[in-house]
Amino acid sequence: MMLQARNLGWSVRRLPIVHGVDLAVREGETLGLVGPNGSGKSTLLRLLAGILKPTSGEVTVEGKPLSGLPRRLAAQKIAYLEQQADTGEAITVRDVVELGRTPWLASLQPWSDEDDRIVAGALADADLRGFENRFWATLSGGEKQRVHLARALAQRPRILLLDEPTNHLDVRHQLSMLDLVAALPVTSIIALHDLNQALTCDRVGVMAGGRLVALGSPEDVLGVERIAEVFGVRASMVVDPADGTRIFRLDHLR
Amino acid sequence: MTIATAGRHSVARLWWRWPAGLVAMAATVFAGTCIGETPIPLSIVVQTLANKVLGAAYPLDPIDMGIIWNYRLPRALVAASCGAGLALSGLVLQSLLRNALADPYLLGISAGASTGAVTVTIAGIGGGAVSMSLGAFAGALTAFLLVALLARAAGGGVLARGTGQIILAGIAGSQLFNALTSFIIAKSANAEQARGIMFWLLGNLSGVRWPDVSLAVPIAVTGLIACVWHARSLDAFAFGADSAASLGIPVRRVQVVLIGLTALVTAVMVSIVGSIGFVGLVIPHAARFVVGVRHGRLVPATALTGAAFLIVADVLSRTMIPGQVLPIGVITALVGAPAFALILLRGRRRP
Repeated sequence: MMLQARNLGWSVRRLPIVHGVDLAVREGETLGLVGPNGSGKSTLLRLLAGILKPTSGEVTVEGKPLSGLPRRLAAQKIAYLEQQADTGEAITVRDVVELGRTPWLASLQPWSDEDDRIVAGALADADLRGFENRFWATLSGGEKQRVHLARALAQRPRILLLDEPTNHLDVRHQLSMLDLVAALPVTSIIALHDLNQALTCDRVGVMAGGRLVALGSPEDVLGVERIAEVFGVRASMVVDPADGTRIFRLDHLR
Repeated sequence: MTIATAGRHSVARLWWRWPAGLVAMAATVFAGTCIGETPIPLSIVVQTLANKVLGAAYPLDPIDMGIIWNYRLPRALVAASCGAGLALSGLVLQSLLRNALADPYLLGISAGASTGAVTVTIAGIGGGAVSMSLGAFAGALTAFLLVALLARAAGGGVLARGTGQIILAGIAGSQLFNALTSFIIAKSANAEQARGIMFWLLGNLSGVRWPDVSLAVPIAVTGLIACVWHARSLDAFAFGADSAASLGIPVRRVQVVLIGLTALVTAVMVSIVGSIGFVGLVIPHAARFVVGVRHGRLVPATALTGAAFLIVADVLSRTMIPGQVLPIGVITALVGAPAFALILLRGRRRP
């Protein structure tokens, strides 16, 4: 197993935010994580990234406990894209993407042409060519999101943890972001709000009240009853006559 | 940003910056040694340095030699160390706390150092066994820990994402420790001591001699080496501590090491020259406008600018009013504030 959580939990002042999560992700798999606001998706991702220390249970990466791994080695394996990371610094797009190389460079190790090549590739993958010298403050919300993705890609991780990466993105870039992640030879876990986007993942986990209440193929997990129970909305499945793709139509419960 | 995109980091192209920085540093120290209220010809300055450093035997007036070797040179060296040390402290705090207003003064470190120094010298705590530097260091650390605890209890904390509280707590801490300093002076000092200590509190390099150099220079160099070593870590804090952690930075360790070092550098500098405001806050911003936000360039630029700035300020403090020495803190603010205003106005026009 690439990434595994056993009985994972995190509480703040004895208030459990995430508890009893068991999860195993295979190499190369794309796992979608859905759930209402405050269901613990972001906290779970932060635990899996090793940024939060679990108050119970443990995370293992390729069978080894994450807590025993030095931060630098962990960051060589796992890239984490947080929600709304912002800065007041007059930093350029290229500078931000270059930060992705941090785990691979020792303190005084010089920057190499290989690093330049990786950064250029990441900028191209995130559709950011021509943005290299733009200052952070001049970017739109969606452009900032793509810069963060490029930074995560420049990290060359085995595992990519993305917290609502399609937020702020226009429709075209939402699609290309998800296609890009699906095509990458990495294991990824993506927190998503759009259930139709979740349908395109290999597997889907459903979070509710800090627990992982379901985990399986999108068809099995995203049933009409469960959506009503977890999200409090009425879902009906619609089939696109052009190619038979199933999509959700969502409405208030009556 | 007109730097070519390919190979802009390559070592081969940038190696000259370090020797160039050292030469600039030496030139500034030399200028600080040449200029003073007593005009001494350049040739005598050079001959004095040759006599002392290279063992030459030029026949010189011992008074001139004394002024240059025992008075001006140590003063310039200490000014350079203090300028570099305080500017780097400000840079580290601004980067780690992600707050443009952070500097050793705003966080109460300097106020604590002053209280510590005054406690030892005037109130006589420690019975002469504790040096003023040690007292200042203890005061600086105490003040900073109190400020950090208050900020943490208020929900911000040094290590948390919200950094507004640390600034507010720092203001409270500074006020408290400044009041304590005034209290100790008013209660225990006689008139002459009080005048001396007030002068010291505004920053004063008059009493600086060679033993101070042997304390200030190693501390400043240690600070510079630590900052250069952590340059990439400091870069990684641009988007906050979580982002730094996800980039492989051992966040807690870096914060403890660098903030501890900041407290040490500030404490030592304040114990030698008193409180010199403005350097820690303004010099890092000035350096950012020139070399950008990446710490690989920003750290050396900040150290160099801070050192040069304080040497110039010291020269001005000695020569501006003939026959009288002004507190250097007065000069740093008088020169620094308008200079900073210019930088701000110029920076506004950048994209």
